[in-house]
Amino acid sequence: MLLRVLHDTRYHYSADVDVAQHMVHLRPRATDTQSVLQHHLSVSPEPNSSDEVIDCMGNHRRFLALQTRHHDLLLRADSLVHTQPPQHTDALPCNPPWEQVREHFRYRAGAPHDPATEFCFHTPATPWDEGFLAFAWPVLDSGMGLVDLALALTAHIHSRLRYDPSSTGVHTPTAQALAQGAGVCQDFAHIFIACWRQLGLPARYVSGYLLTQPPAGQARLVGADASHAWAAVYVPDLNETGQGYWVDVDPTNNRCGWGSPGEDYVTLAWGREFLDVSPVRGVIQGGGSHQLSVAVTVAPPDEWPG
Amino acid sequence: MNPPISPSLLPKQRPAPDKQVRALAWPADAGHHDELQTATGLRPLWQRFFQSLGPQGMGDLDARAELVLRQLRDNGVSYNAHASGQAPQRPWSLDLLPMLIGADEWATLQAGVLQRTRLLNAVLADVYGAGDLVRRSLLPAALVQGHPAYLRGLQGLQVPHGQWLPMAAFDLARGPDGQWWVVAQRAQAPSGLGYLLENRITIARQFPDAFAALQVQRLAGTYQAWMRALEQLCPAGDKPRIVLLTPGPYNETYFEHAYLARYLGIPLVEGSDLTVRDQRVYLKTLQGLEPVHGIIKRLDDRWLDPLELRADSTLGVPGLLQALRAGHVWMVNPPGTGLLECSALQGFLPAIGQHLLGEDLQLPALPTWWCGEEAVLRDATQRLGDSVVRSTYPGSGRDTVMGRHLSPTQRDEWTDRLLRERGQHTVQRWLPLSQTPTWRDGRLLPRSAMLRVFALSDGPDSWRVLPGGLVRLAPRGQLMASMQSGGSSADCWVQTRDAVDTTTLLPSGPPTLQQLRPGRPVSSRAGENLFWLGRYTERAENSVRLARLIVQNSEEAQEPSAALWRWWLALASDNGLVPEDPQHPLGAAWELARRVAKHLGPPAGHAAHNTSFSVGFNLRALHSAAAQVRDRLSPEHSALIEDLAMNFATQAGALAERSEVGMAPAQVCLRDAGLRLTAITGLQTDRMVRDHGWRLLSVGRHIERLTTLSQALLHALQADCLRHADGFDAVLALFDSGITFQARHQQRREPLALIDLLVIDRDNPRSLGWVLQTLRGRLDKLAQGSGLSSLSSHLPDPEQWRIEDWFGDPLNGQADTPLATELQACMMAAMALSDDIMRRHFSHADTRHQSVGA
Repeated sequence: MLLRVLHDTRYHYSADVDVAQHMVHLRPRATDTQSVLQHHLSVSPEPNSSDEVIDCMGNHRRFLALQTRHHDLLLRADSLVHTQPPQHTDALPCNPPWEQVREHFRYRAGAPHDPATEFCFHTPATPWDEGFLAFAWPVLDSGMGLVDLALALTAHIHSRLRYDPSSTGVHTPTAQALAQGAGVCQDFAHIFIACWRQLGLPARYVSGYLLTQPPAGQARLVGADASHAWAAVYVPDLNETGQGYWVDVDPTNNRCGWGSPGEDYVTLAWGREFLDVSPVRGVIQGGGSHQLSVAVTVAPPDEWPG
Repeated sequence: MNPPISPSLLPKQRPAPDKQVRALAWPADAGHHDELQTATGLRPLWQRFFQSLGPQGMGDLDARAELVLRQLRDNGVSYNAHASGQAPQRPWSLDLLPMLIGADEWATLQAGVLQRTRLLNAVLADVYGAGDLVRRSLLPAALVQGHPAYLRGLQGLQVPHGQWLPMAAFDLARGPDGQWWVVAQRAQAPSGLGYLLENRITIARQFPDAFAALQVQRLAGTYQAWMRALEQLCPAGDKPRIVLLTPGPYNETYFEHAYLARYLGIPLVEGSDLTVRDQRVYLKTLQGLEPVHGIIKRLDDRWLDPLELRADSTLGVPGLLQALRAGHVWMVNPPGTGLLECSALQGFLPAIGQHLLGEDLQLPALPTWWCGEEAVLRDATQRLGDSVVRSTYPGSGRDTVMGRHLSPTQRDEWTDRLLRERGQHTVQRWLPLSQTPTWRDGRLLPRSAMLRVFALSDGPDSWRVLPGGLVRLAPRGQLMASMQSGGSSADCWVQTRDAVDTTTLLPSGPPTLQQLRPGRPVSSRAGENLFWLGRYTERAENSVRLARLIVQNSEEAQEPSAALWRWWLALASDNGLVPEDPQHPLGAAWELARRVAKHLGPPAGHAAHNTSFSVGFNLRALHSAAAQVRDRLSPEHSALIEDLAMNFATQAGALAERSEVGMAPAQVCLRDAGLRLTAITGLQTDRMVRDHGWRLLSVGRHIERLTTLSQALLHALQADCLRHADGFDAVLALFDSGITFQARHQQRREPLALIDLLVIDRDNPRSLGWVLQTLRGRLDKLAQGSGLSSLSSHLPDPEQWRIEDWFGDPLNGQADTPLATELQACMMAAMALSDDIMRRHFSHADTRHQSVGA
């Protein structure tokens, strides 16, 4: 599927900003199921410097520095991505019992190290908290296949939590979102990852987009979409060392797949949690208070609105 | 318990013999090594020490302890246990007696510490580089990638000469069998390098003979070698600029940051003093941006760069990590070293030592079991009784649990918890610390001691151990030694067999390298604080002088003339000496005096806007401006300001609480404050280097003086003061010019002569003419070489003033006379100049950054 993504981030400041520095993750990365055909980031006003690096997770990370005084800042990321449908999880060559996977990732002196171990560790948004274990408990069975457990937990979160954009902000603690039973895709993904890590299993946070269909009878609108986030779990092939697969799970929409949750998903970047891959974060001097507006449009180019 | 022995019972003239010392010494607690003595006698080092006390022997130890206390207080040495800005600073606690370490023992310790430093350096290079240790499972990933101090963004960082650890601190302790152990190691931003120096200077002074007799190795050479190495390792040409980055005055160890910066001769900066442009770090100075090449940081890593690390940090420098990765700046230590502080690491170091160095570790660490490893869990749980349980990761909010204090049930609960929570906990054997003698009320009391030593780099892949250290003493009956929990400290003397290194970084008086490194830049923030320090010093002096005049005068038999009365009311209200109180208008001089005395220092808890400009407010503002530039003031200067603020607050507080205020205590309070302010002024005029920072301080003072004097004179004209004897004298007194006037004019009270002395005479430092002339000079100097025009051109020019122009001036309160107009122009010019100064020199100093995110 050919998808164009237009992601506008606009800051309006109440006072002049003298100096600003931003760190952005806005260029989609290439994956097994996705290739990036075009990408362009325009920044207004023109930054004094703009440097792209590949971060330690393989994402495109760009640093922008602005030293001209400005009142407004616009970042427009325009990407054209070709996505393939993911394989069904049934096609995975392995589905080891989850307890064995947990053992695999436990440290033993001298035993071979699996680099995916990094995704077992707790982070500020996915902290050590036995409450996550209690939440996951009802779907947990001994001897359950890892992939089955991932699908069950995805469905569990989907059915038990309410999607409500007014319920949380970017900094709402994950445990609080769980306690109130409501949140947005970022919370759903963090809850999944926190549960998974509490079990001693590796999972990562994926930031990206999802193609949405306008309500029946209505035209597609520019800027009507939003960024999206989901999780991915690592399935090691315990019989073959060094071999393993990532399965993407989207608790917000109860979708999953081997490679991505679906052909209608665009992957931007992944990390241990949101903070590793936040699309735009920055530090400004001056500026007073600010208003932020984000507008995302995802559509096949031939159905592009307007 | 024996009654304390009075010093007078002690022999005066001969060296203290073994027996006498032992009679005063309590033995160490059972199970602890006794640093002072064995069952049969004093240890040899202590024997030497007590033999070398000088003619007074032990007779004057109490007096020396008193001197130590006073010296620390005078130097304002402090440690804020819970830094809030509100709580008073706690004086640094230092025992009279040092801990003594013999030459052979030190050689062993030193070799062990150096080996461990090399090893830790190699560990860092690996975990941020090849990643071999984790890949081979010599080190659990949980203690690297799983540790919050591990900074992924620095993977692949190239540090100059592979120097990851320009400094490392080790907490050492001696066990019951006399064996030394490593208890902990600190790498992120260890404290102690300043305190231990202050300890040394204070204690060595008390025992000059013993210090020489024991051949105690000096410290300065190691600091100097370290600074040379840092300069050499910095990524910039010949003259790298190194700064010390502090979180600021509210940090618990801020005293030491300022002290160390001054000793090393480098600028003390806060995050807002630095800025990153094009991946390079700059210091914002009064002259513009100056490049910075090296940063000794006392700020924890997570606060360093709000762009990549904690976004809510206002203490850091946005973009700093980019500059670091680009190799344009070097940090001591580089960020990301905090994972070395994890106690769980100790269990893995012996095997890593074999792998990386092919060596056995010479200095053992306490046996440690990280509970994330199945194989050691059983071991760890079985040893709970003689161990402590620590949280593996910082910031968990959990305290260290002492196994020996757990009941059998609690121990079972902990065993379960360790199994369940696994890697979150680390079990470490508990070590009864050795006890070193302290001097308390005429007795030698043993205290559990922990010694922090420092390995400092003196070149690529090379370190020295600072011969000494910071000794922390546990409070009596407590098992842990920490300054945070109310412990005390001691100096540490290391004996040398070779010649004592006589390098000194102390030219004379207050320690500083500044003389060797002239041209220290003045940061915009320091400049601004110096400016306000100048303004508040002058403002405080003026308000104290005015309050004194009013209080003194109320003792006179005669009521003041109506003119003087009007003048006082105007000035008292302008200067905020009395609160507005329309219900109770003031009718007599004694009422005014009483109200002034009662409101010298407003009671605590008043909102600042109610109390602005009272004497107490000015002194508090003076104190806080000084606290921000502590590294630029001599210790005497800081101490005087501290004293002034504390004494005044106490005295004025007592006055405010009385229902009937006698004038005598108010006079004492104001006289004391006046004397201290005079001394402070003396230090500001005489004892500060004439750099731009000082010029701003001076400009601040003169702006304030110009405002106050022209306003007071204008009021005097309006109140018709000069044509009344008491008013005339009061104006002279307020301008501090009574003596000069009398010398010139005896008892004649000629108004124009007064105007000449107070306005035109450019030889009188209290005249407007002198103030303006001085201001112009300072402003011209400030502008030199800046390419900007001097701000002096906006000021009235006193050379244009002629007394003849004012001959016809009736001096009786008309607002539009030529003199009144001139005075008003002076006031306006002072205000405008203050705004210009701020705009030109400080505007980027206070723009705090903020984080935004989508």
